[in-house]
Amino acid sequence: MRSLSLYVKRDSLIHKIDPFTKIIYVFVSVISPFILPTLIFSTSLTLINLLFLLLGRVVKKVLPIISFVFIIILTIFIIQGMFYDANQTELFSLFNLNFYVEGILYAARISVRAINVLLAFSLLILTTPPTEMIESLVRRGMPAKLGYIMHSVLQIIPMMSSNASIIMDAQRARGMETEGSLWVRIKAFIPLIGPLVMSSLVNTHERSIALEVRGFSAATQKTFLHQEKVPGGMKQLRIFFLLFLAAVLAWRLVL
Amino acid sequence: MKKITINNLSYKYSLAENKALNNISLEVEKGDFIGVVGPNKAGKSTLCKSLVGLIPHFYKGEFEGEILIDNLNTLNSSIAELSLKVGLVFQNPFNQISGAKLSVYDELAFGLENNGLGREEMITRIDKYLNLMDLNEVKDNNPFELSGGQMQKLAIASIMALKPDVFVLDEPTSQLDPQGTEEVFKAVSRLREENLTVILVSQKLNKLADYANKILFLNQGEIAAYDNTAAVFSRNDLEQMGMGAPIYTEIARELGLKNEKNQYPIRKSELKEMLVAKYGKNIG
Ligand SMILES: Nc1ncnc2c1ncn2[C@@H]1O[C@H](COP(=O)(O)OP(=O)(O)OP(=O)(O)O)[C@@H](O)[C@H]1O
Ligand SMILES: [Mg+2]
Repeated sequence: MRSLSLYVKRDSLIHKIDPFTKIIYVFVSVISPFILPTLIFSTSLTLINLLFLLLGRVVKKVLPIISFVFIIILTIFIIQGMFYDANQTELFSLFNLNFYVEGILYAARISVRAINVLLAFSLLILTTPPTEMIESLVRRGMPAKLGYIMHSVLQIIPMMSSNASIIMDAQRARGMETEGSLWVRIKAFIPLIGPLVMSSLVNTHERSIALEVRGFSAATQKTFLHQEKVPGGMKQLRIFFLLFLAAVLAWRLVL
Repeated sequence: MKKITINNLSYKYSLAENKALNNISLEVEKGDFIGVVGPNKAGKSTLCKSLVGLIPHFYKGEFEGEILIDNLNTLNSSIAELSLKVGLVFQNPFNQISGAKLSVYDELAFGLENNGLGREEMITRIDKYLNLMDLNEVKDNNPFELSGGQMQKLAIASIMALKPDVFVLDEPTSQLDPQGTEEVFKAVSRLREENLTVILVSQKLNKLADYANKILFLNQGEIAAYDNTAAVFSRNDLEQMGMGAPIYTEIARELGLKNEKNQYPIRKSELKEMLVAKYGKNIG
């Protein structure tokens, strides 16, 4: 595995939009249904997210997550359908259990909002290269050290496996069997844990030195190798999203 | 021209009982290639850390004396400022990968971004050092997927890209296999071609004989010898000092072959010349 990332490389309209615009979109899309908690509103936003996922050609990747969440949602429907405080109007009854309109609607409001959050974040994560996303935040004032931590999380898997293979080479050189049946490999893995933990402590110390001698703490304004590719019209789009949020707020205050 | 001046440098790590460096004074000329040798715990790494300002800015301890790089006192400049003048590469290549970049190409940019270089300049430098270190083929690979030798070359290239005038390498091949070692020494010879001032800590005396014009021999935190390479390796008290000599020097010593400067040869070519001169072309 190259890195810890869910990004799916595709050639789509959604992929072309710059990370920051997408971040603003996700923020607006996630927060709006909480400001204006009507079922129609959150359902529309959810459908829009679904449409964007389709445009980004990444819907398939969301399905496993959705199906997992579906179980939780089903539980919400059952519990709220039967026991919601304001339950009055009976809708149907199943094996002598009564389900009520109020509870079902309440469950729908929560669930749709939850799905909306999920879809919006999936849209961002599936269609944006993580490094570009982090960089776009560092460019806008997020501390570089925090950016470094986020970047290094992406590298955890290659880093660990590289380190493990170094230790395994050393163990093989001392005559330990590290290949073969699953059992042999498990036996080989257990003595690996100690050195892996110990070495990562030493590694952290040494790596911090390596970062320092490459100017990590330099007082200079940081620059970026990669240019931010912002297609035309994105400024307007960002403003539109923010105006939309303002309108939602206004509506809520007036209502 | 003096590139580095060290005056009465002493250093004791906090919590340590003895001084790691004890009253070191020496000068390094611009363009010198200094080979640093000495037994374990001699203070070689401590000297390297001092040259790049990690001591006293990163390691707190008892620091005395001063180090001047081009008249710039390391005490008065930050590690980041010094990193543009003095580069450091150390033993473990794995730990010198920043861990924040997903490709070799981007990894090279890490130090340049931190130092606020312009984009054009970054690209020029990255391309140059990718080529110089033969890393072009792997430029899109994840840095952690490289071999040890390649990783170490990447570490060297990343430091070179910062264009320091002084390059400090602390046993850069001690954790590499023979092939990786060979690759890294090839890289080191590029440093010499770039006319940098190089300080190389290594136990590989044959290699030092090829590259270094001077040898600094440290022992228990003190200077045991600091002289031209041939002069140091020709000393008669090497064995008493616990140090060996390059293989060709040892052979010459056995045969009692000294040159007109009354020194033993240190390289293969020199020894061969002297042997031919003495015994003719068709020995054996
Ligand atoms: N971080 C530290 N804290 C305390 N003492 C240290 C530290 N690093 C090194 N020392 C001590 O300082 C002395 C010099 O160590 P140094 O690492 O400079 O030696 P060296 O010549 O590089 O040895 P080696 O050949 O083992 O790399 C040793 O006695 C060592 O134990
Ligand atoms: Mg050392």
